[in-house]
Amino acid sequence: MNTTAVLVFDILLVLSLLSLAVATLATRDAHRSVILFMAFGLVLALAWGRLMAPDVALAEAAIGAGLSGALLLAAVREQPRQTLTADTNAVHSGNDAGLKVILQSVATLLCVGLAATLSWALAHALQSAPSNALAQAVQENLATSGVSNPVTAVLLNFRAYDTLLELAVLLTAILGIFALGPARPGYRSAGPVFDSLAHWLVPVLILTAGYLLWVGAQAPGGAFQAGAILAAAGVVLQLSGQRTLGLPQERTLHIVIAAGVGMFLLVGLSLLFLGRPFLGYPPAWASALILLIETAAMLAIAATLALAFLGGRPQSPRLNATGEKPAALSTGTLRAAMHPVRSGTDADTNSGYRNSSNEQKQ
Amino acid sequence: MADMLIWLVATPLVGALVTLVLPRQATALVNLTAVATTAIAFTLLYQVEKQGALDYEIGGWTAGLGIALRADGLSAMLLIMTALVVTAASVYASAYFRQLSERARFWPLWLLLWSSLNALLLSGDLFNIYVTLELLGLSAVALTSLGGKTAALQAALRYLQVGLLGSMLFLAGVSLIYAGYGTLDLSTLASMVVPGPVAWMALALMTAGLLLKTALFPLHFWLPPAHGSAPAPVSAVLSALVVKAAFYLVLRLWLDVFADLVTPAASNILGILGGGAILWGSWRALRAERLKLLAAYSTVAQLGYLFLFFPVLQALPPGSARDSALGGLVILALTHGFAKAGLFLAIGIIQQRAGHDRIRELDGTAQRLPATTFAIALGGVALIGLPPSGAFLGKWQLISAAFATGQWLWVLIVVAGSLLAAAYMFRVLGHAFGNQAYPQRAVTVAREEWPALILTGIAVIGLGLAGAPVWQLMGSNA
Amino acid sequence: MMTAQWLYGITGCLIVALGLRTALLHTLLLQRVIGINIMGAGVFLVLIAVAYRGPGEAPDPVPQALVLTGIVVAVSATALALALARRLAAEPDNG
Repeated sequence: MNTTAVLVFDILLVLSLLSLAVATLATRDAHRSVILFMAFGLVLALAWGRLMAPDVALAEAAIGAGLSGALLLAAVREQPRQTLTADTNAVHSGNDAGLKVILQSVATLLCVGLAATLSWALAHALQSAPSNALAQAVQENLATSGVSNPVTAVLLNFRAYDTLLELAVLLTAILGIFALGPARPGYRSAGPVFDSLAHWLVPVLILTAGYLLWVGAQAPGGAFQAGAILAAAGVVLQLSGQRTLGLPQERTLHIVIAAGVGMFLLVGLSLLFLGRPFLGYPPAWASALILLIETAAMLAIAATLALAFLGGRPQSPRLNATGEKPAALSTGTLRAAMHPVRSGTDADTNSGYRNSSNEQKQ
Repeated sequence: MADMLIWLVATPLVGALVTLVLPRQATALVNLTAVATTAIAFTLLYQVEKQGALDYEIGGWTAGLGIALRADGLSAMLLIMTALVVTAASVYASAYFRQLSERARFWPLWLLLWSSLNALLLSGDLFNIYVTLELLGLSAVALTSLGGKTAALQAALRYLQVGLLGSMLFLAGVSLIYAGYGTLDLSTLASMVVPGPVAWMALALMTAGLLLKTALFPLHFWLPPAHGSAPAPVSAVLSALVVKAAFYLVLRLWLDVFADLVTPAASNILGILGGGAILWGSWRALRAERLKLLAAYSTVAQLGYLFLFFPVLQALPPGSARDSALGGLVILALTHGFAKAGLFLAIGIIQQRAGHDRIRELDGTAQRLPATTFAIALGGVALIGLPPSGAFLGKWQLISAAFATGQWLWVLIVVAGSLLAAAYMFRVLGHAFGNQAYPQRAVTVAREEWPALILTGIAVIGLGLAGAPVWQLMGSNA
Repeated sequence: MMTAQWLYGITGCLIVALGLRTALLHTLLLQRVIGINIMGAGVFLVLIAVAYRGPGEAPDPVPQALVLTGIVVAVSATALALALARRLAAEPDNG
């Protein structure tokens, strides 16, 4: 391989990353920064590919750029331009202009100092050629781990406990989101072009997700990437006007989002009862158990990320899981406030995905 | 036997999932989970006392390749405190949240918080600690925002941003550690660490992140709004446990893993910040208009005492004096946990009955809610540090160790802080007594008042009179 | 120490600092959330750079797994932050 060409490519990639980061963070317009952030994410995925991290590249493109970008876009869309939230005060709020300048200078100096010291420490660390012990240990134990993709082996076997807790993080986030209020009002039914695209795209996405799940044991892929693609299918459905995305309601929904953590605990604790260590798969059963856990995890991740994009529980039932009307949320106020506030003065031209008030269910 | 470690994390987690899927039976399930987890925690304490620290390798993989859990005297005691405080607050919460829908939203997040606390206290792996910190942060934020008041939502949003910033800094430190040492396991790292740019920078980054999360002055700005507007049981757990968890990590890193790196200058920085926390927090508590804000600022101040121990411990050579001081630190932390939790629960009772928690308008509370006022008084005794509370023992240790090492400044600050604490607590109690007749019943709502009484009682009487095991267990810090 | 490791690693450090500055200073919540995400991206760059072993050798899978976990955690936190902001904006005195 021509090392000069690679070096030039690396420098160009690094410069793109830096300039996209600066552009994203420097712009004052929320909408623009979200688009730039998505671009940054995609270039970052390129960088992961360059650094021989294809699993991470897949996840970054699907989750980091794709779903995060969708979440941010949905957030920007509902608010008037420029202001996003009531809490628009900076973490250090100073009313005095002079104080502001001082704070800004201090913060900038702090960050420059951080960049310098961090780089110095990192250079020092890289120079002293750290031990390769963990990578070697992974290689040695890969044969008994049940999969041949080393990243999947680390995620689902050696450090499976981290993955369990990470799925718990996802669950916590969606439960927090549920507690905050009902989902966003939906989009109106799509026109024929987008509708036919969705008809084609969603099954392809579902198939891709299934493939990624299956192939993750031998090649780049796995539960997270598959779950993200499946969630993307949900986002497409939402955008084309399908309100509930085919997600189950209430109790079944709770079971689905809890499935990732639940399957991990089921497998782990069963192994404990059988006398093995927690999540210590017997080598003969390892690949089957990992696939089982990954399937449950994929469904949970997909449901959680799609629900996060929805912004809450899917709309249809008026009663919640316990058979009561949601009492404490003043949903009337919330829903009323969700209507686009400025009718007629809107500069957005993206009419295909706009809220329409006649879509509101009452 | 060492299975207990994973059961401590798994039990609340299972409870969270089951309460999510079966909300109608939730209260019974929560009680079951609480009793089970507390029982396991006590068994663990007993084991650790008998045979020293326990290790557990998850999946059977050696620590390094896999993730190891570890429990020594310190973490066992913190686990007990967590279990007792959460159990008491759960009993309280089952009465505090009147509607089934509120409880249905509350319990899963509550149990997820508990399992994240246990996972953090037991973790022996740096990246695993990062994940538990994130789980802890998100569940705490979600719980803070329950109830939907604007103040709570704003505070929760700020709390989330600060928490994410802290976690990111912590992760930056972890990545440096991996770059420099190629391992994430704490015990392996402890034997490999050498003073140098990598270790210094990593420790600085991780500490900065943790100081944000433990609200050490001047990074405390997010705490009073968050703890002051969360629902009462959530405030109790936030002040007593969540900020302590971050402090526990600072303790672990500074005294255990990176012990060779810590210089007197660095410890003095922590001490000065702690002193600032004591003075500023106590002053703001004295000026607080609302009870919950007073309690929140008091937390800021009390955490300052814990940080004052750092320069003192640094100056003491290894030996019995240092061990005594370390035990003092732990008993002070435990006492504050119990006392502050009980205090917040009691304040919650007042807030529900009176509709507000303004201090100036507390007139007659002592007569209307005698048990609650008694709980506040007990909590005050522990916060001031009067005998026989555990805080007295802890502060005594701090002062004597500071005398012994000639660090007079800390003595002055401790005395000033205790005087200020006395001032703000007596102010509250003064307003609480009015001109009404005394009631017939002592306890008005058992499920709410008993937990507050028991928690503050443990702080004052339990830890004070039966505090000796704390030093024994710290000695078994293998 | 390979050029690629050094190059991407230092870039990661710079990006961390950039993200931090925005997270501290910017007035818009959205920008601060994006800033924190970009800080995360910088840390991930450091980790993946450390994992890289050159074109011929297989990279170290452990940091790659860590970064995967980190990406999911970041999106969860972002989702919660945006939901909180949305709920705040819907409150009667703010909307």
